[in-house]
Amino acid sequence: MRNPLGWAALTLFSLVFFLFIYAPLLVIIGYSFNSNPVNMMQWEHFTFDWYRGLLGLGERAADPNNRAVYVESTEKMLAALRTSLMVAGLSTTISTVIGTATAIALARYRFRAKGFYNGFLMLPMMMPDIVLGIGLLIFFVTVGIHLSMLTIIIGHCTFLSSYVFIIVQARIAGLDPALEEASADLGASEWVTLRKVLLPQLAPGILGGALLAFVISMDDLVITYFVAGTDNTTLPVFIFGMVRRGVKPEINAIATLMILTSVLIAALGLWLRSRKAD
Amino acid sequence: MAVRRQTLVLLVLLAPVTLFLGVFFLLPLVIIALFSLLAPGLYGGVEWTFYHWNYGRIFGWADGLIEIYEPIYLQILGRSLGFAAMTVVLCLILCYPVAFWVSRLPSRWRLFFIFLITLPFFSSLIVRLYAWLLILKPSGLLNSVLMGMDLISQPLEILYTPAAVVLGMVYVMVPFMFLPLYSAVDNLDRALIEASMDLGATRVQTFLKVILPQTLPGILGGSVIVFIPSVGNFIVPDVLGGAKGLMIGNLVEQQFLSARNWPFGSALSMVVMTLVLVVLLTSMAAARRKGSQNA
Repeated sequence: MRNPLGWAALTLFSLVFFLFIYAPLLVIIGYSFNSNPVNMMQWEHFTFDWYRGLLGLGERAADPNNRAVYVESTEKMLAALRTSLMVAGLSTTISTVIGTATAIALARYRFRAKGFYNGFLMLPMMMPDIVLGIGLLIFFVTVGIHLSMLTIIIGHCTFLSSYVFIIVQARIAGLDPALEEASADLGASEWVTLRKVLLPQLAPGILGGALLAFVISMDDLVITYFVAGTDNTTLPVFIFGMVRRGVKPEINAIATLMILTSVLIAALGLWLRSRKAD
Repeated sequence: MAVRRQTLVLLVLLAPVTLFLGVFFLLPLVIIALFSLLAPGLYGGVEWTFYHWNYGRIFGWADGLIEIYEPIYLQILGRSLGFAAMTVVLCLILCYPVAFWVSRLPSRWRLFFIFLITLPFFSSLIVRLYAWLLILKPSGLLNSVLMGMDLISQPLEILYTPAAVVLGMVYVMVPFMFLPLYSAVDNLDRALIEASMDLGATRVQTFLKVILPQTLPGILGGSVIVFIPSVGNFIVPDVLGGAKGLMIGNLVEQQFLSARNWPFGSALSMVVMTLVLVVLLTSMAAARRKGSQNA
């Protein structure tokens, strides 16, 4: 850089930018340890009470006057977490199969509708969540499918398949088709070549796609909000409800745990990618 | 024989996506289009008769006896477009210099900062918005700090204003703008910039004539990726916006979950969908024209 002053200004701007991104998350983490139950922005002293409350432990939870509130919300929250994990697990599995099959079909076969499929698979990602959410809601209600965990899973698969497709497709593009041709020349059938030659090479891409799908599914709020019905709640919808009803200090603890989990998952993803490069 | 075998494999590979997206993606969109042309039932639900007054209610040809035209719907639509456009511009202003800065760092630091930018993408949207609720509240962190420093005597009212909504949207959308911008800035041909400076162009000229045109695809891509989810957003205005921050997404949500006027809600979402498709197709056409110019 020719101009050190300009570079310094740019550095300052960038550091402020990163502060802007991270300060709100740090605020939540900090206040999750604040014992002040009335005004959580006013620092009282350090406490683990909100975390204990989440687990149904601790003095506040043991206090008979308070018990109902804490235990009830704790149970609901854990149920929401269970639902989230099941929905994410199942919809990741289904959409990984759909997305991978589609990516292989588009990369390895010639057919007329190829251009159409390439564009079509972008649509679920570009469609605003709210349109997809209400579309599915009207569809399920009109056809007479009861809103349940199944409808949440279906809703998630509609857009997750496209994400898996993109990641796997990028991986296929980097592969050498000669290996598959060799396998076919040596007399392996179409299926055998697919299973024994193509899929093993694709494994890191498929894993990456699945990881991304899992993370997006765990965080989906809008689609789930419309198709969850009354009996099922995922963690984001549960927190959305808590935020809407009024802020309680336990949210800070839940939010902190979620932030830490996502940091771990992201670090895991990065680690997987760096291992792949070795 | 071999050919038929190949066709079979292809069919097996394509069947899942075709069936699944056909039934659970295309069909719902068709049903929205259909419902937007039906009459609302008395107790929620629909009457199966052709009814164009839903659109009339939005665009102004409603007959006062059947449905009432309210300019408020167009205003809210215009506001949503305005908020989304502002979000795009602010994200650009924030990300462009930072993308430049990151691209000039040594490679270890470059990877670290890119990781820092993508990290929020992995953490929950609602948690990130909730953080701003804590900060912007009248008794929140921002006001406590400003009042503690005696800069203001009364709490600022930022929460539940349009500014809060745009701030929240910029905050959640920033990674989506950064990544395409960064890849455009990182691919810049530095030799061209040096040549331009050596040949006596000023910094501003170099920026406008050399750097900007080269990074235009990244700017365009990032803008579309930020604009589309912003227009139909209802979570951000729901958490941070008040009545003045209401967007078209909130209107749609109300029709489905409280007003129970599904046909009108469908008509509103058809408007959102059409807007999104127009933006997508225009930008794709623009990208193609740019591509053919360079070729």
